[in-house]
Amino acid sequence: MHKEGVAEFPYYVGINSLSELATKDDKVVVLNILGKESSGVTPISHEYSGGNVVFGTGPGKSGKSLPTKNGKIPVYNSIKEGMAAGHEFNTAVVYLPPSGVKDGVAEAVRDNPKLKKVIVLTEKVSVKDSRVMRAICQTNGVDLFGGNCLGVADSWNHVRLGGALGGNSPEESLIKGSVAIFSNSGNFTTTIAVYLATAGWGTTTSVSSGKDVYIHYGPQEFIYALNNDDRSQAAIVYCEPGGYYEKDLKSDKPIIACVVGRWKAKLTKSCGHAGSLAGSGDDAMAKEEWFKDYFGVKDIYTPENPVCSKKGALVTNIAHIPEALTKVMEANGKKPDFEPKGDLSLKCWFGNNNGVKLPKELDVQQVKAIEPYSEQIDALKQQVGAQISRETLKDASGASKMDPKTQVSQIHNVSILDASNKTFEENLVFALTHNYPSASGTAMANAVLNAYVNQHGQATLVAATASREAGNSPNTVQAAAVSIVGKNKAQKAMKAAEALLDIFKLTDMDNPEEKFDYKALVKGAASHKDALLDADAGAEAVLKQVQSKGQSVFIDFLVDFAKEHNGNVSKDAVVAAVWASLAWPSLRTKKISKHTLVRLPWYSMIYSTMVGVAAPDNQHSADSFCGIKNDDLLGNSFTRTAFQALMGRDASEGELFEFQVLLGLIITNGPGTISAQGSKGAVSADGPEQPDRVQINKSFIGFLTHTGFAHGGNGYEAAAFLIEQFKDSSLTDPADSKHGVDLEKLATDYAKWYGSYKKEQKGLGRLDYAKIPCVNHPVFKGKDVNVDPREEYVSKLFKDKGLYNVFLDFYHHLVEGLFKTKVTKNVYCVNVDAVIAVILLKMVWSDYKKGSIKEEDIEWASFMAFLFGRMIGCAAEIDDHTNRGKNMDTRTPASKVAYVG
Amino acid sequence: MQITGMLWGRKLLDLVEFPRSDVRGPEASVEEIKGMIKKHKQVFIKPFFKGGVGKKGKSGLIGRVDNLHDALKEKERLYFATHQDGARITKSNGVTFEGGVPADHEVYFSITDSTLYRAPCMTITHHGGVDIEELPADKLAVVPFDPLTGLKAFHVSNALESLGAPSEIISPLVQNLPKLWDLYNNYGMLMLELNPIRMFNNGKRLSPVACDFKCAFDQDDPAWKRLHLPDELFASDDSDFEQEINQLRTYQGQSDVYVINDEGTITAPTFGGGANAMVTELLGEDATISSDFGGNPPYVKMNDISKITFKYWLPQSNVLFIIGGKANNTDIYETFRAIGDGIKWYFQQHGPQPLFVVVGRGGPNLVRGMAYLRDTLDSLGIPYRFFGHDSAMSEVINYARAVNRWMLNGGKDEIKKSMNIK
Repeated sequence: MHKEGVAEFPYYVGINSLSELATKDDKVVVLNILGKESSGVTPISHEYSGGNVVFGTGPGKSGKSLPTKNGKIPVYNSIKEGMAAGHEFNTAVVYLPPSGVKDGVAEAVRDNPKLKKVIVLTEKVSVKDSRVMRAICQTNGVDLFGGNCLGVADSWNHVRLGGALGGNSPEESLIKGSVAIFSNSGNFTTTIAVYLATAGWGTTTSVSSGKDVYIHYGPQEFIYALNNDDRSQAAIVYCEPGGYYEKDLKSDKPIIACVVGRWKAKLTKSCGHAGSLAGSGDDAMAKEEWFKDYFGVKDIYTPENPVCSKKGALVTNIAHIPEALTKVMEANGKKPDFEPKGDLSLKCWFGNNNGVKLPKELDVQQVKAIEPYSEQIDALKQQVGAQISRETLKDASGASKMDPKTQVSQIHNVSILDASNKTFEENLVFALTHNYPSASGTAMANAVLNAYVNQHGQATLVAATASREAGNSPNTVQAAAVSIVGKNKAQKAMKAAEALLDIFKLTDMDNPEEKFDYKALVKGAASHKDALLDADAGAEAVLKQVQSKGQSVFIDFLVDFAKEHNGNVSKDAVVAAVWASLAWPSLRTKKISKHTLVRLPWYSMIYSTMVGVAAPDNQHSADSFCGIKNDDLLGNSFTRTAFQALMGRDASEGELFEFQVLLGLIITNGPGTISAQGSKGAVSADGPEQPDRVQINKSFIGFLTHTGFAHGGNGYEAAAFLIEQFKDSSLTDPADSKHGVDLEKLATDYAKWYGSYKKEQKGLGRLDYAKIPCVNHPVFKGKDVNVDPREEYVSKLFKDKGLYNVFLDFYHHLVEGLFKTKVTKNVYCVNVDAVIAVILLKMVWSDYKKGSIKEEDIEWASFMAFLFGRMIGCAAEIDDHTNRGKNMDTRTPASKVAYVG
Repeated sequence: MQITGMLWGRKLLDLVEFPRSDVRGPEASVEEIKGMIKKHKQVFIKPFFKGGVGKKGKSGLIGRVDNLHDALKEKERLYFATHQDGARITKSNGVTFEGGVPADHEVYFSITDSTLYRAPCMTITHHGGVDIEELPADKLAVVPFDPLTGLKAFHVSNALESLGAPSEIISPLVQNLPKLWDLYNNYGMLMLELNPIRMFNNGKRLSPVACDFKCAFDQDDPAWKRLHLPDELFASDDSDFEQEINQLRTYQGQSDVYVINDEGTITAPTFGGGANAMVTELLGEDATISSDFGGNPPYVKMNDISKITFKYWLPQSNVLFIIGGKANNTDIYETFRAIGDGIKWYFQQHGPQPLFVVVGRGGPNLVRGMAYLRDTLDSLGIPYRFFGHDSAMSEVINYARAVNRWMLNGGKDEIKKSMNIK
């Protein structure tokens, strides 16, 4: 039962010509107009079509409206209400959810006898509803389009009905021409139009048919209307497997058929388009045959095998459509509509090898994108550095993590084992820039770090000394000094960093250690004179050191800038320039934010202060630190400076390496450790959502106050244990493998003693008996012979370097001895904390034996060394939390805490 | 979502009181089997496959017995039988025992939605019991009918008369077959096929008895849920990955996935049904999955999809290939932000992965979306190339494949080195 339409069809079809599909006379009602999809798409359709939407519906939404550039579209509860308000329409566009689509169509048909077209955009409409909708429309003489389609559009009439053909810029793809498009894919309807333009072909009417099981306006109807449309000279028909819609298609005009989806023959359920599930007779190969038979060709058209006839060509790749169309139209004596617009070659808009060397053919270079996209890409350059979305960082970090299986922690995805192969200064830079510096960068970093290490005459030293004399622990002493390094201390250097960022942010410079022509910037940066220049020449020494050791565009720029403006480069500007050099590649690759780059000098000064005040006040003088002349200190490695501050003497190369390993192993234990929590809590309390308000020095104080005799100071326990074992031995040089101490005996004797002690204590019911520090581990246990891989790694590292440590050797004898004397059931591991203790003890042993340092000095040094190492990890946490965290995000909700009183 | 066989078919047929053969499931006791043999003289033993498996008879997977010994032997043979259809191998888990129905006439009957007629359509013949494709057209009646009024007695009667069917079978079929429209229409079916319906003579008159059953459900029609069929009946159709993704199936944004090659090395979140057809075709066996995530999915859905997809497929993937045409209404910023955050999540959860990202896309908020993804990849140290919609999609696919080949030939190690992955 259907109304009488075009006589050629056994069912109702009302459209006679494609020119009638989308016209200026069509007036549209949109069902569920305020839904997410529709409210975004409808205004664009409305504006493109010159205002063709008369009203929309939304149950309970009467009185609301949808704003567009062409005025507000009124919204009513129902179609009936809208019509009662005097609106007339002939087209209904349906954006209802699937379960409501059938009812919406029924409402439109029932309430508006003048309805001629219904376009269903909704996806996942059930087949049952689809067949019922069709029956309703057939009975009432209404053309139905979709579902799951993107509607129809007409480039000549400048009208778009339903859906979003051409996206949010329809003019870009709906270019007036002579080709009609029918496509099962909404996306390809637009994409094919874009492709056609590259061969000079524009469009007349574009139909997105949808590819549900029911295609209500199918290829047969489309081709009939194509033949009656004088504007259309050819058609593109894109189809997929499933359904017999394209069978026996015949046209007066050429057709390029694109059939895609041979692989879908393997499918046992639909994927992508619901109607693309084929039987044996309507799969892609079958459809290819239908078209080949009709065109009278034997093959699929490809650029290598351009097979076509006057009737058309079959392609299986949409990229071949433009060329095939041109060839077929040539055979018909017709030329393209306009000059080709662009081409379809590979055009890379964004690319980065991120350090990987790609083969030439894959190393596709970026090109300027087509307008208006290239303008938008250029505008992106204004955004400098990483834009990190904020999240709650309670017990979470973007800087560190610990692998629960290996117990090896990582900082910026580098394991602490690898980090311990790097120097102290390299790790300090890495914590903040996420990149290890080059040799030249390291030398520059050493210069600026050492430039601020001598605290002579500074309030920091006074505070530290007062704190020390008051009997405070090393962390408290450090905190006292760091509290003095407030924002004002670093303000000038941060201003200089800000100035350099401002001057260079829009340049193409990727690496300031490579040549870059900055000459034009020198003159243009006059407004930054105050930030970069100084009246006196106080920066001369550090500038000279930096220039002699490294290469930095920023430093060269400063020198030329000072010359140009007859001033002197300020010391703050040198610090800023060096840190800008170190951080610039990370900024360019979006690893760090611009806020980080600006704050780096502040971190730098805190680093220097913490190392500086580790040395007592008698090691600081006007012209030297720990006996090293200030100018000489600039060329020192910062690792060596830290060693000197801690031990009061110079280090051998071997000691320096061991010291660096010691510090590297301490860097982090993940965001759960108390020290990390302290630093993160301090950032959180300042409110990182306004990063300028985060007090970096206070965050370091947070870290420092969250260390103590149990966390940081406990390294001493193992040292004390070892001192106890070796104090009566003849050991003089722990680095000498020929030390003459019978380690096996020492270990066995102790093991025996410990076995009887343990038995006795257990017998007395005392389960809190003394445990041997640094043996066994809750993860690395249970095997016959257990190994802590971190300790194993470091032992091998030292062995490869020819570095011997008698204390570590003793520990290995001890775990064997404990097993042999049956104190333990298997051979315990020597854990990584032992490594830290043995390195430290080795460094101080000869002084201890000489009596120049006491056990409490060892404890002090042990704790201070921990603070040096952990300073690296906490700097990373502080910066990460400042960039990524939210205000007060480390707090625990009241519902999650307990009262246990 | 298909059901084949009488184990579940009997339950569905009972809903509309359509006569069917006597059927027992694998739990049938020896006594019950004995009783069936005694009653029906002949019992058919068929393996039970979940999902759609046809032509069991041709594959030698139907046992016909008239004694208990043979019945048990056949049960043992068929219980875990394997059925191969092309590359697809299905394993049974159980058998049905179906009482033989002596008859002189076998009828084929089906209802589907026909794309030729764009209406529901009955296909019927009294030359049933064979493959329908093997019958000449003049022995089949294909009858479209109005979905608003449904399948009526006169459709059946006219069709059988036009085929010249024996008059004694027409009346019982006319009385019973229209009931099947209720089953088809009320429970969201896309296809319902009974072959054969054997015309059993009860001594007084002929009665149709369904002896095999096949149906497919429309997964977009929730009506099938009213049948309360056990979930595991359809679970075998989907891999774990597909099942997890399917839970996100809503009308706002597609989430169609299909596992192509579980040893593939390119994972391609694809946007749009057309792109899905083309990309999957050109990637071939390199692809892990075929997908369509188009339809403007909201951030949360796209992020969930990304996480599930990455969890299953990134460990083995060389190339993450995000591909679609020039989107009409899919917000590229929202989708790329969701994918970028998904990659970040994966790296946080599982550590860095040597990966190359290739993108081919166009649409609303394109540059903003690409910029977000670019920043994410830069921060993770992942190499990438993004192409706009002015590059031919097929060329972008070829580029992704070339990157994959390079990765397989040492490129992966290069990326591992640059990303500091041990």
